[in-house]
Order: sequence, then C-alpha cells, then structure tokens
Amino acid sequence: MKIQLNARNRAHYFDAEVADKILHAGLSSGITLPYECGSGTCGTCKARLLSGEIADAWPEAPGRRYLKNPDEFLMCQCAARTDISVEVSTFVQDVDPGVCVPAAVKGRIRDATLLTHDVMQLYIDLQSPIEFDAGQFVLVEVAGVPGSRGWSMVNFDRAASTLRFVVKRKPGGALSDRLFANPTAGIEVDVFGPLGSATFFPSLATNILCIAGGSGIAGMMSILERAADENYFAEYDGDVFFGVRSMKDAFFLDEFSRLRERCGERLRVTIVFSEDRASASTQIDHPLLSFDTGFVHEVAGRHMQGRLQGMRAYLAGPPPAVDASVRMLLMSRVSTANIRYDKFS
Amino acid sequence: MNRVRICSASEIPTNGMKTYDTSLGIKVLIANAGDSYFAYQGLCPHQDVCLDEGFFDGSTLTCHQHLWQWDIATGAAVGLAEAPLERYELAHEDGEIFVLQSSALKVSEMFKGTSDSVIARLDALTRREEHESLSILYSIGDPADDLYILESGRVEFLIGRGDRTGPAGFMLRKGEVFGWAALLEDQPRRIAKAACLEKAIVLRMNGAEVLKVLADEPGSGYLVMRQLSMLIAKHLGSQGDK
Repeated sequence: MKIQLNARNRAHYFDAEVADKILHAGLSSGITLPYECGSGTCGTCKARLLSGEIADAWPEAPGRRYLKNPDEFLMCQCAARTDISVEVSTFVQDVDPGVCVPAAVKGRIRDATLLTHDVMQLYIDLQSPIEFDAGQFVLVEVAGVPGSRGWSMVNFDRAASTLRFVVKRKPGGALSDRLFANPTAGIEVDVFGPLGSATFFPSLATNILCIAGGSGIAGMMSILERAADENYFAEYDGDVFFGVRSMKDAFFLDEFSRLRERCGERLRVTIVFSEDRASASTQIDHPLLSFDTGFVHEVAGRHMQGRLQGMRAYLAGPPPAVDASVRMLLMSRVSTANIRYDKFS
Repeated sequence: MNRVRICSASEIPTNGMKTYDTSLGIKVLIANAGDSYFAYQGLCPHQDVCLDEGFFDGSTLTCHQHLWQWDIATGAAVGLAEAPLERYELAHEDGEIFVLQSSALKVSEMFKGTSDSVIARLDALTRREEHESLSILYSIGDPADDLYILESGRVEFLIGRGDRTGPAGFMLRKGEVFGWAALLEDQPRRIAKAACLEKAIVLRMNGAEVLKVLADEPGSGYLVMRQLSMLIAKHLGSQGDK
C-alpha cells in the first residue's frame, strides 16, 4: 500500500503492509511522525484521512477522545486497506542521521520473576538484535490480546538481542493476568521499537536528575547503566529519586547499591516512600542509599534546592506523578529543554 | 473590529488564568500577571489542549501536554514552542475585561514586533480578500508580485510541473505568511500553486511596496528580514534545529 502523508511543511511518501500500523510504517521509513505513547492513549498521532480506506484495530482507544471530526483517526491504531492519503497538522521532517530507526521484530518472553507483589521483571529474546538509546521504550503486542503496551528497557546494550523490563500488574489487564498467573511460560510477542525521546547520551555533559515512580524506574536504569559504562559520574552529579508507596513495593535496592558502589559518591540514590518509613534493617542492608518519606516530587524538590539549574531532568511514572514533578521543576525555573519524559497518559 | 466582554477582572487571581468560550466562536484565555491582564487564544497551537490546564507563574505560560511555553507579555514562543500564541487586544474598564480581535497583520509571524508606523503603512497597502473553497490564489509561473497573510481558512501549496505535482505543505493559522517570493530579488515567477481548500480570508499586499516601507524604516526592516529567514528555515529545517 502506498501512503501519502501531507504535513504542514511538505508531503512524505512511504509504503505499508496490510498488517502495518500507519504510524509504524512511517517511523520505520525514517519519517518523524508525531507520536508519544504509540499505544492508543495520548492522541498525539492523530491524522485526517483524505482518501482511501483504513481499518481501525481499536475503535475504543481512549486517545480517540482527542479527535474532533469523523475523518480523524489515530495512526498508531489504524492500518491502510487501500492506497491512502492522510494529513497531519504538524511539521514533519526526515529522521536525523544517527537516530535509531524503529522496526518490527519477533520476540519471546522468558524468565518472568516477581520483584514485588505487583511488579514483575522479565526478558524478551529477540529474533534479530535492535539498537536503542538509553531511556527508550518498545511496543509489545501479544497475539490474541488487543492493543499494545509501551515498556521501557531496563538494560542498555549495543545491538541488543535481549531486552529487560519491569512490568506493573494492571488488575484485569489481559496480558498482565496471563504473565502473573503463569510466569514461567514463554509467550511469543511482536515488538516494535525503539521509540521515545526521553533519551540520555554521554555527550550531554551536564548533571542529571532522575525522578521516577514505580515501574517508571525502568528507563532510568537504562540511563544509569549507560552513564556508568561511560564513567559519567566521575565528572557529573547524578541524583535519583525512586518513589514507591511502601516497603513492600520497593525493588532494585540491591541493584542501586551496586550502581552506587560502581559509580562513586557523585551518584546519589534516594528511595522515597509515600506511605511508609524504611525499616532499620533495610537501611542497614543498604548503607549507600538514602531513604526518605513523602511524595517523590516533593522530596526531590527539597533535596535539590539550589542545584536544579542547568541540570537535565528525566521523569517517569504514573501521569499525575510526572505532572507534579514537571510543575515542581517549572516553579524552580528549570528550562523546559532540560525536562524529558514520555507520557503514557 | 469585534469588541466582546469576557469576564470580571476579579474572577482571575494574580498569577492565575482562565479560559472562556466567547461569542466570537473562539476560546479566549485571560491571564492576570499582577500589574496587567493579557488575552490569548485559549487552545494550544500544537494540539488544541486547553491552556488553562497548564502552568502560569506570572511571566511564562506553559502548556502541560508537551511543555510549549510563551512569554505572557507578547505571546512569543519560548523554549520548545514552535508557534506563537495569538494575542488579542484587551481593555480593562471598571473591573470588566473586554477583548478586541486583532488584525492578522499585527499577529503575523513576519511583521510582529514592527513599529506602529510600519504596521499603519502596511495596513494602508493591504487588500482584504475573501476566496471561496477551491479557488486558486496563484499558479506556477504567475508573476510573484504580492505577499499574502492568512486571516482565516486554509491554503494549500503544490509544486511540480504538469501532472507531476506534489503537495508542499499548507497554511492554517491566522498570521501565517506565504507568497514571500514577492520580497525576493530575481524571483519574478511563482514556483508553487496556492489554492484555498476551504473558504479563506487573506490580506494581500504588493511586495515591492512592502520593501519600500521596510527600506524607510531599517530597524523594522531588519526585524522582518530576520523573521522571514526564520520562517524559511522552519519550512526547510530538519528536526533538532528548532
């Protein structure tokens, strides 16, 4: 199928297979189509159908509430049935050289283990390796389970043939129920990625701040791993605030202790409990980590007072928590160019 | 010019903002910056998100969705924002807030910031034209005499020859400027076709006359040329150059 996409500045042309989502086909052709979640919730990839026919895989997608006219649709959910021409009301450019272009690849979930009562760690082995940047995510789809989910990579590897994730249980979520019921069974998945612009490169050469809630910590781990590999914290500060509700929701503490040991004292990690205090034994077991109580954005704001200028902030977690952190940073006059997140609203 | 009552000034606290649906058919945002009030378009030019859901600290307005920002005093884009906000003239009388819709000339991305006398002289050169849907403003090869500013509606561009034409973008925002070849030396002919895809109102002025006004007032002329080169760069530019 031939796709013609009219953008504010010019037209782009690309091909798509019957099964391809229009967004995926365009992105993998190296065209920077607008998107954010890639999974039907944020509405950022809306477009107008000018001619031709499309098939909508998820007519109930929550992101459709941002559509105003019957000829509008979400590019992340729709595939072309015929040659089509569509229009987006943004400027669309070709991808810059050096940026990882996303692609579709088959994979298989293995070694799912529980980190807490409702957070699971798992690996996906890919049929062919992919390149991604620290802080990016992929869309994961399972045959028979509608929709796709955005999962951020925990690891950072060049030409990665295994991706590591942390996944929060969604009560009633079809895939998470399956995973939590039978974690050891392998599940075949379709992976599309990498996606997302909340990325870290060592050439940034500035202090970094990570504020994450719950499983949002995944992308931060990838950023920290890349930074540790490059000995980044020999020269720059890294401040990490990891918010969870209570002791029983905490994970990755050993991992953080090891990172802290490896990177030295310019990496500071604070585990923030919103409804609890760290037990004495936890504090004794993790002498290199700090513990605090409150909302993660408030604790971060308090600890970082006077040190926020010129820092690059990475945010992740439930949308209300990300919004609260954004507000805290803006009120402290942090420039928007230094605030990075991909919101899965 | 339409003058419309929006609200009582007391409804908006200091460093606060609120949007209102108006009889003009548009959503208007009123912001209280402490010593003065400002009126802007109520929806973010990026994705139509309601701006009063965002953040306002008394000087900078931020859309919460993708962190586009604007200077509250001018509506100029700050940081990540790729488009300015349309500003409405505001009158604050006896505790009541009124707005007046401003002309596309004043909010245009090319002429904004120029002196009042330049705006007045350009205004005198301007013809306001209404075009029905599917009418053609100019075709490839036509003389490139006039410059256009969109006031409302939508204009699309096609480049190429004969049957081998392709879309070259479109204009849909009040104040967007096109046909700028009229300001260039040695570009006497149109290289694109411009057509109205819906009923459109445009302001039209002769390029040579505009250049005379700008030559008389070099300060404003310099600003306009800078804004023109930024416009061209925006249409050609690659991601990351914003």
